[in-house]
Order: sequence, then structure tokens, then C-alpha cells
Amino acid sequence: MSQLMVVKKHLNLAWEMIKLNIASAMEYRASFLIQVLGMIVNDVGLIFLWLIFFQKFPVVGGWDFTDSALLFAVTTTSFGFFMIFGGGAMTIARMIHQGQLDYFLTFPTNTLWHVVVSRTEIPAIGDFIFGLAIYLIFIDYSLGSILLFLGVAILSALIFINFIIITQSIGFFVGNFEAAAEQLFHALLGFTLYPQSVFHGWLKVIMLTIIPAFFIATLPVSLLNNFDWNVLLVMFLFWLVTLWLAIWIFYRGMRDYESGNLINVQM
Amino acid sequence: MSAWWLKFDKYLEISKIAYQDTLTYLVSLLSRAGTIIFRIWIFTQLYTVTYEYTGQSQVGGMSVAMVIWVLMLTQSFASSTRPLVSKLIEEEVKSGTLAYSVNKPYSYILFHLFGYLGRCWANLVANLVIGVLAAVVLVGVVKISLVGILLGIILLIFGLVLNFLFSMIIGLSAFWLEDISSLHWIYQKGQMVFGGQILPLALFPIYWQKIIYLLPFGQMFYNASATMINFSWAAFEQSLIVQLIWLLVVGVGAELMFRLGVKNVSINGG
Repeated sequence: MSQLMVVKKHLNLAWEMIKLNIASAMEYRASFLIQVLGMIVNDVGLIFLWLIFFQKFPVVGGWDFTDSALLFAVTTTSFGFFMIFGGGAMTIARMIHQGQLDYFLTFPTNTLWHVVVSRTEIPAIGDFIFGLAIYLIFIDYSLGSILLFLGVAILSALIFINFIIITQSIGFFVGNFEAAAEQLFHALLGFTLYPQSVFHGWLKVIMLTIIPAFFIATLPVSLLNNFDWNVLLVMFLFWLVTLWLAIWIFYRGMRDYESGNLINVQM
Repeated sequence: MSAWWLKFDKYLEISKIAYQDTLTYLVSLLSRAGTIIFRIWIFTQLYTVTYEYTGQSQVGGMSVAMVIWVLMLTQSFASSTRPLVSKLIEEEVKSGTLAYSVNKPYSYILFHLFGYLGRCWANLVANLVIGVLAAVVLVGVVKISLVGILLGIILLIFGLVLNFLFSMIIGLSAFWLEDISSLHWIYQKGQMVFGGQILPLALFPIYWQKIIYLLPFGQMFYNASATMINFSWAAFEQSLIVQLIWLLVVGVGAELMFRLGVKNVSINGG
């Protein structure tokens, strides 16, 4: 099979998985709507907080409410995309700990890809809708601008997924890493809430390395404010490096993976 | 017939077991407490830059150091309530284990309340040790009064109970709603926005403050923190009155919901 066919096959798998996950969630129509609308209300709460903050302090380190609105637009859209397309990445540490990866090993597909696309978080649809709406309301609604926004948000989401795969895969080497991986995920999310211009010193170093919020939040906002090919290239290269690291750590860990003896029915 | 304190004794034992159980998972306890360092660090940079831009050393009667200490305490108190009671109750309702609990010789609500307080105590100690150290390193010490600390502790205890009762109501909603995750998020976001976990309520514009101080969110953890760091009798009295009214309303609500919900429970044996 040619490389192109393999890529097509895996993209098809992702598409079918998302369709199936959403269709099965929509069987419980009320629950589906509550989850999506609940997440939108939840996100509105966040933007409301910063609306109040900037009423009191109009400019912080050259950052104003519009910048925060753009930050939330990018981060909620990219987070939404990540959780719709790759929600399974969040379960890797748990599956390692409970020996549940066996199920995926029996398929003739790339295991990591299959695990990542196996799950769709329904509330993330609310995040995606909210992010796009915030962009249209507060930033811009021209077609070119929206396409650039979506492109940058998707690139940010792909970096996000790599970070999650890397942190979750540590579970291969240390046993139960589920809670710690979740804390790292929340630490990353935490950085994306605040005006990015206030970070400096060692905190900035952490954002550039261990918890790469700089590439998920700071650079996308900068790129959308003032487009620069060099910045886009930096983001792209960072995605490539983290992708290589994510694939390497996952398959290196798989060598040490001990199969579980639980008999599960996969629904 | 046993004396009332002997009946009460079993609840203290429940607290003790929950406390020891929380200490058993030390890595989880410390990693949760560790995230407070990150948050305090972020807040220090945020509010230092913010205050520099205003050109003032105090805003709303608070310096940067006071803001950081209030946020550190609020975050420590809020974080000590994990895992969420609402999630535990939801699981019991959905899995049906609640049916077995309600037949036991104890009050279901008090059983969960004392278990929750035991867990909070264990988490609180870890959060405060790490949080206080982080605050001292980042912004130094602030002037506090013994009266403020003692009265703050009273507000904290009532605040923890208030949070428990709200969580109980959310968890019990699972009797009637298919999915209550959105209620969890909205409640947590309410705490984050109106509970002073990111922006201290004293820094809100005045017209917002009038409404926000009447809402329950600030009554849970923020007012206790503010009393400890920036004590005033007037603020304490107002907080206590609003807190007690909310406790009464939400307490009655939780009890009514529990009684209504239990009517839905059916035991099928097996």
C-alpha cells in the first residue's frame, strides 16, 4: 500500500470514529444538548471574568480585553478540536495502568493513532462553537481571517495533542501516572487563561519547555495579531519536534507495556 | 438508649477514616498542592504588572502582597474540597449504591459531610504548608491579626459546609437529570469568577461588588481568606449574616432534595 493510501486510511478511520462517537452521543439528545450548551455557558463565565478585570484595569503589560478575547477564541477552538478529534489521548495513562491497550493491539492500524482518535469529548463541541463565536464577535469575520484563525487553532491543537501523548505516556515507565498527567494538563490550561504579556523570568522558561503554553497560546495570538511567516515556521517546527517525541516515547513505552488480564467488552 | 455524643462519635470516626484515606494517596495529595505554587506564581506576575500599570501601591485597600496571600488562601481552601462531593454522590445515585447507604444506621447527609470534612482537613494541611511557603518566597509576609485568623476560621468552616451542601444538591440532581457534568462546570466556573479565585472581590468595580457579595460563591472561601488577611469587623459581620442565610436556604434545599430523591430509589435484590 502506498504511503498516500495509508494516510487516507487513517484519516478515514478518524472521520468514522468521530461520526460514530457523535452519533451515539446524539442518541441521548437532551444529554447531548446539555453537555454542549453547558460548556458554552462555562466558557462565557471565563470571558465575563476578563471583561470585568479589564473594566478595572484597561491595559496590563500592553494587553487589553481584545487580546484576551483572541486568546480565548484560539485556546477554546484548539482545545475543542483536540478533544473532538483526539480525546483518546487523555486516556492513555489510565489504559496503560489498567492494561486496556490490548484491545487496540489487535487492529491492523497504527496503535497510537487509533488510541488518540478513539474518543470524542462531546462538551468540546461547545468549546469549538464558543471559540469561533468569540472570534467572529470580537475580532474579525472576513473569510481570509477566519481561515487563518482556524489554521492556527488546528496547529495549536496538534501541539496540544503531542504534549498530552508525551505526558500520558510517562505512565509506561512509572506505573500509575494518571493523576500527575492530569495535573500537567491543568497546569498547561492554567497558563492559557491569563494575559500572556505578564509572564517573565523562570515562568516564561517553563512555558517554553516543560509546559509549552507559549506555543499553544502566546504564539497563536501574536500570529493572529501580526502575521509573520517566521512565527508560523517556529510553531510548525515545534509541532514536528513534539510529534517525533510523542511517537518515540509512546512506542518506546509500548516495548515495556505489560498486557492486562482483564476481559473487557469494548462498547 | 445511647447519649447524643455517642451517636455523634461515629461521624467523627468517619471523618478520621476519610482523613487517613486521603493521606494514603500522598502523591496525589502533593501534586494537587503543588499546582498551587504555579497558580500563586502566575498571580504574582499578573498582579505585579497590573499594579505597575495603575501606578498605585494599593487598589481596593489591598497591596500586591495582600492580593497574593488572599488568592493563595482562597485557592488552598477551594482545592482542599477535591474530590468533588457532587461527583461522589452522582456515582452513588447512578450506580445504585445509594440504596444500600440509606439503610445504614446513620444520616446519609451527615455521613458524607463528615467524610468530606476529613478529606478537606488532610488536603488543607498540605495546601497551606506549600501555599504559605510559596507566598512567603514570592511576595514576603503580610501583617495579620489573631482575631482575623480566628474569625476567618469560623467563616471557613461555614464556607466548607456551604460548598458541601451545594455539591450535595448538584450530585442529587442525578436522580432527575441524565447528565449533570454541565452543572459541575457551571458551579465551578461560578466559584472561579464570583468566588474570588482569580480576581479578588475587593478589586471588582464597586457596582459589581454590591451584587457579588450577596451571591453564595464568595461566601465559601474568599470571605474567610479576606478576613484572615484584611480584617474588618463590618465585613466579617456582613459575611457571617449572608453566609448563615445561604446555609439555611441551601441546607433546607439539600434535605428536601434528598427526601424527594430517595423516593425514586428501588431495591431489586440480587
